[in-house]
Amino acid sequence: MIKIENLHASIDGKEILKGLNLEVKAGEIHAIMGPNGAGKSTLASVLAGREDYEVTAGSIDFDGTDLLELSTEDRAREGLFLAFQYPVEIPGVSNINFLRTALNEIREYKGQAQISAKEFMAMVREKSAIVELDSKLASRAVNEGFSGGEKKRNEIFQMAMLEPKLAVLDETDSGLDIDALRIVANGVNTLKSDQNATIVITHYQRLLDYIIPDFVHVLYDGRIVMTGTKELALELEEKGYDWIKESIDA
Amino acid sequence: MEKLNILSQFTSRFPSTEIDGLSSMANSARVFLSGNDFPTTRVERFKYTRLTKLSNAQFDGSAVTSISDFRKHQICPDALAIFVVNGHVYLPEIKVPNGLIIEDISSAKSLPSSSMKDVFAAMNVLHAQSGVSVHVAKNTVIDSVIEIVHVCTGSYAGFTRNQIFIGENAQAKVVMTYVSEQTKACFSHVHTSIEVGKRAHFNMEKVQMESSDLFSFSDEEVWQGADSVFQINTLTLDGNLVRNDLHIQVQGEHAETHLNGMYMLNGQQHVANYTTVDHQVANCESNELYKGIMDDKSIAVFNGKVFVRQDAQKTNAFQSNANVLISDDAGVNSKPELEIYADDVKCSHGSTTGQLDDEALFYLRARGISERGATQLLLTAFMSDVLDKITVPSVKEKVFEVINKRFNWELTL
Repeated sequence: MIKIENLHASIDGKEILKGLNLEVKAGEIHAIMGPNGAGKSTLASVLAGREDYEVTAGSIDFDGTDLLELSTEDRAREGLFLAFQYPVEIPGVSNINFLRTALNEIREYKGQAQISAKEFMAMVREKSAIVELDSKLASRAVNEGFSGGEKKRNEIFQMAMLEPKLAVLDETDSGLDIDALRIVANGVNTLKSDQNATIVITHYQRLLDYIIPDFVHVLYDGRIVMTGTKELALELEEKGYDWIKESIDA
Repeated sequence: MEKLNILSQFTSRFPSTEIDGLSSMANSARVFLSGNDFPTTRVERFKYTRLTKLSNAQFDGSAVTSISDFRKHQICPDALAIFVVNGHVYLPEIKVPNGLIIEDISSAKSLPSSSMKDVFAAMNVLHAQSGVSVHVAKNTVIDSVIEIVHVCTGSYAGFTRNQIFIGENAQAKVVMTYVSEQTKACFSHVHTSIEVGKRAHFNMEKVQMESSDLFSFSDEEVWQGADSVFQINTLTLDGNLVRNDLHIQVQGEHAETHLNGMYMLNGQQHVANYTTVDHQVANCESNELYKGIMDDKSIAVFNGKVFVRQDAQKTNAFQSNANVLISDDAGVNSKPELEIYADDVKCSHGSTTGQLDDEALFYLRARGISERGATQLLLTAFMSDVLDKITVPSVKEKVFEVINKRFNWELTL
């Protein structure tokens, strides 16, 4: 699905990612954990194509395509989805209008016909139910006046609508109470198939009680320094990150 | 001395007015002109608007008058439409409902006197050739839209004078359409006096889409009676140098005033909106919302004044101007002003100018929407509250059509 090799990226001349390697196959869920400042959100931003970041070395192969050569919108059209850590409020743009525009632009890119209004509304009803998002929220302005939990559920709702090959969830659990966390996790699990893959970026193990990862990676100082299974997440929860820092820095 | 020459040179090309109703104002207009120069940017009202292009422009008067089909410029297909072509009124034979009189202003018996706010207003008094008079009798509700289509052609330069009278408890909607056809350079100044009687409701949609070689000046002077509701939407979609002067005197209690504006500019367009809301009595409300999008090297000027006189207690007056610049070379001069002499009022004003939110753009693009599509979504959202104020559906359609054509946008209602 995606193969990241020796990825180096910097912002304002400061190197954040320093040779990151990661391979995710279809059907897999990977968790990326790490202390603050390790480069977790930078990785999400670089994958989505945020222009503030400069990739100085390395490659990203996304299902046979050179991801780094694509614009942000083309990455999305190729099936990459980023669930934002801080979803943006866009007053005046309705969620529905925005999603229909997105869906149709993706369809056009793939040479498919536009979605009919009826088909679209049926899809909205079905997919909003997955994350228990009130249909009223679906028709309101994008994220405007949404609570923290509603914003995150809206991210997963969008993911459900756009049916990406690879979803990157950037700290989706931050600021969620346990109910919202359960709903979001349930949404992600419902959408999981052997055709798609998920990268869960998180600081805490908590989310991984609900979204069971196949692999857990520790990101530290711009590199993956340790890889394990879900037990590694529990160990990190218990022992913190200091023992990893010490063993790496030593 | 040289400045005076520019002014007299400019005015000398215009024939004297033959509208009888203007004679009582002629003297004060002459006095005003003799005491003022052709405006430079040293004059406060023209601080941001250079008129050198206007004073240097050649109007050879070669107006094309043989255009057979003005109707194509009409925006509302079902409207009672009147045409003012190069300052001449064409009244098609239309069935006018009871209580409505539409006529050439030359036949109107008396005209309300207007203020000499600048040399152009004064020139209008002395040189207006023609115009439309709309009179709605009291207690009359006009269901049809009345559309006054102003057409400039060729190299026309001149003044037009309209008046609109809405009697007590009456109700009407007017669309003021400003278009041009086969123009070289044109100068047009249109004055419209609007009296809104007690308990009357009057709505005006002013749609400006003249070509980019037009100097288009227009001013509206409005008097509002008690319990009246007046709304004007000034929609500027094209033109070279466009200047709108809107002066509203709120003279009766419990009156409501809504003035909204949108301007979408590109190229080297210059659009100035000067507005004054003068609250003279108590218990009134005014809402002002002007929004603009500027591309290329276009410049917008907004100068909004709200006066709340000493007697105008319990006034609610709100004013807002917001602008989005989508080019590094575009500019805005925005000056909201409040002058309050009463002590028990609620007033606010604000002005913002910025660029599109990069975070929002990125968010939309990260969902697969092209940069262009994302930009359009955000700009439409920015404009949506002003667009929502448009009360005549065919006007809204026209606005979208022009935006689609000029900016290559694919907007939908």
